[in-house]
Amino acid sequence: MEPLLLGIYILLFPGFLFLFAYAFLLQYLDRKIAARMQQRVGPPLLQPFADFIKMLGKEVIDPAGVDRKAFDAAPVVALAAAMTAYLYIPIVGGSPFAFQGDLVLVLYLLTLPTIALFLLGWLSRNVFSSVGGVRAVTMLFIYEVPFFLALLMPALMAGSWSISEIALWQQEHGWFALLQPIGFVVGLIGLQAKLERQPFDIPEAETEIVAGPWTELTGRRLALMHLTMQVMLVAGSGLIAALFLGGPLLPWNISPAWLATIAGFLMFLGKTLVILVILASLKVATGRIRIDQLNDIGWKYLASATILQVGIVLLMDYIRVGT
Amino acid sequence: MPEVILPIGPQHPALKEPVNFRVIVDGETIVGLELDVSYTHRGIEKAAEQRDFIRVVPLLERVCGICSHAHAQAFCTGIEEIMQLEVPPRAQYLRTIVAELERMHSHILWLGVAAHVVGFNTLFMWTWRDRETTQDILEEMTGNRMNYGMNEVGGVRRDLSPGQIRSILSRLPKLEEQIGKYVEMVKGEETMLLRFRGIGKLSKAEALRYGTVGPTARASGVDYDVRRDDPSIAYPEVPWKVVTDTNGDVYGRTLVRIGELQESLGIIRYCLEHLPEGQIYVPAPKVAPKAEILSRYEAPRGELAHFIRTNGTDKVDRIDIRTPTLANWTSVTVSLVNQNIADIPVIVAAIDPCLSCTSRITILSERGRRRGEMSWAQLVDHGQRFYREGGRS
Amino acid sequence: MSGVLLEMLENLCSKPFTILYPKEKVPIPKGFRGKIAIIDEKCIGCSRCAKVCPAECITMVPDETEIEVKGKKIVRKKRPVLKFFRCIRCGLCEQYCPSEAIVMRCQLSECGPDKEVVVQ
Repeated sequence: MEPLLLGIYILLFPGFLFLFAYAFLLQYLDRKIAARMQQRVGPPLLQPFADFIKMLGKEVIDPAGVDRKAFDAAPVVALAAAMTAYLYIPIVGGSPFAFQGDLVLVLYLLTLPTIALFLLGWLSRNVFSSVGGVRAVTMLFIYEVPFFLALLMPALMAGSWSISEIALWQQEHGWFALLQPIGFVVGLIGLQAKLERQPFDIPEAETEIVAGPWTELTGRRLALMHLTMQVMLVAGSGLIAALFLGGPLLPWNISPAWLATIAGFLMFLGKTLVILVILASLKVATGRIRIDQLNDIGWKYLASATILQVGIVLLMDYIRVGT
Repeated sequence: MPEVILPIGPQHPALKEPVNFRVIVDGETIVGLELDVSYTHRGIEKAAEQRDFIRVVPLLERVCGICSHAHAQAFCTGIEEIMQLEVPPRAQYLRTIVAELERMHSHILWLGVAAHVVGFNTLFMWTWRDRETTQDILEEMTGNRMNYGMNEVGGVRRDLSPGQIRSILSRLPKLEEQIGKYVEMVKGEETMLLRFRGIGKLSKAEALRYGTVGPTARASGVDYDVRRDDPSIAYPEVPWKVVTDTNGDVYGRTLVRIGELQESLGIIRYCLEHLPEGQIYVPAPKVAPKAEILSRYEAPRGELAHFIRTNGTDKVDRIDIRTPTLANWTSVTVSLVNQNIADIPVIVAAIDPCLSCTSRITILSERGRRRGEMSWAQLVDHGQRFYREGGRS
Repeated sequence: MSGVLLEMLENLCSKPFTILYPKEKVPIPKGFRGKIAIIDEKCIGCSRCAKVCPAECITMVPDETEIEVKGKKIVRKKRPVLKFFRCIRCGLCEQYCPSEAIVMRCQLSECGPDKEVVVQ
């Protein structure tokens, strides 16, 4: 693609401007749906945007003896990682940056914000933050293995390591949500754990350790970390939509190219909204579990379900190659 | 990780009122605990010695917001027995209705808070929505949602009209249905069961040894309820059952409190339907004869004891309040050892702590008796220095 | 688990429980202990309200006025003045006043930056 179009793609649409707008919209919908399920009213439309602007203007407090440069840098690194991961998600047709192996790159980039959170917790010189940071990394050990395996299975079946090509493969052969249902469920649960929402909001357990690694973040650092979580929500649900629900492509081809683009974009919006509704319902319907109970559940049920899924995919592949 | 002191309180999102726990943890397991409960001391026992029997009842109501009727009731029962007053039956029934409504609102509040403490905010919102029904009924009966000024020595201050009785009875079935739903949710919701089962176990022998009272003790199988064993007001005439459980953990306490909710609903319905006619108070004498009495009452959190000493004047000579939460703190220090950090708020919330009731003691400086005045700036500076140096001055 | 999910779906389709103040107002029942009003024409200056108040917020100030009570004209010597910030709304003054001169109305306190307006 020529540089001007590439610039517009990155910065405006469907790049960063659209990303921020969609992140705020998804956060509004998440809070509104959760509130209505609890029979409350919920926030107005511009609330997430107003929260962001307000937090940018608040005073930045440095606790005594804290390394200020690292403390400033960690949220920026996390946000940069999440935004870069977003660029590889197919939104209108394939992503222009797609290459073989970008699935692995996206998965790696989406892990960086959790490491940044641990770093913030450790640097804060605060008992609550260090406990929260340790919990964040422990959770990473528990859910990452099933999550990665579940997301790599579509790549195995489609025979490609590029997200855009996996989405394209599903156009002819059917959605992976139907071909690999166990992987779909594990992927959704893993996404909820990555985003640290109920029942997995253990690092940020408000009633136990004040706010965990978020305790000493104020002002623009807090605004950037919140934005990172929202961007991860968009990127994560876009990834699941592309890998399991066919991405921005309909099961049949549409002839004028501009109509196909618009239809694809609407499909992307629709599929990510469906995933958001599922995640919001999961958040509302459960409480928080303890880290050692998560250890139990993660290794007993999630990991074994994923191994089962891996076995099925390998078997299907063997049968297909054999015939 | 080496041993770390985790300061829970005095300000912490897990606590609704200030209390200072200094928890010594090793990784995520607790190895020790220090407790300080003197943060909401207001000098009520001294203030009560300067007010006569009419003016002291509103003061004693304000010892606690959630169990306010319990304090007023315990006091009035004690004074009425000293003065040998015969309170009319209609007044006793009205007092029972308000007492059981208070128990219901306190237990529903507790259920919401227990759900919030484990992160299950949905149940918190739903239970507090249904608590509004009890608060509306109390507002119609007494004029206020909390600190109902219903009691006075000799009877009650307001009456119920037949229209009000009908309106209250018509709202009870919906409340009963919602409570039934919460029973199902508590027994079936996986995350709540995971967080409540097996936490904070207290055996029957331990409960008796450390003096626990109320639903905390009844969940460990101790079959003791002041409403049955030392009855006052209308409890002997109303059919009801004591709810006990043998689990001994937080799940058992949840079941006991929900069972008590259903019993309370039955008591209220019975009292409303069988309300006797008659007066609502008898005029009380101004002075009380010289006597000492220990008056007990079953507050929503357990056994509340008022020790009252009168000396022939129109004021009390000494009143000493032993609240149920004060009796239950020892069981918290015992059952917290060897549990996870994540269980601290759950175990503390399971005894239903009410710090306003508890703070009847405060620890002053042990050295020196200095007196003086501090300006606001000096007080702020003193407070900051006190906490930075970590403890007693 | 299914009970929770069912209730969630029901709530999604129904109106929220919140009362949208100030567009909708909270219904106040009769007998609510709200604002305190002193009806000057009925007060006979007996000081019973000041004696019975637990928070000691009523003081009697000297005020010679002629009022009519039950057809007879008497001269009242004192009248009550309330410190509204100390009042705990217990209602004992209303109960013990012999001429119903101090009453609690069914109105909520207002909102605003002016102290006198708020605590009436």
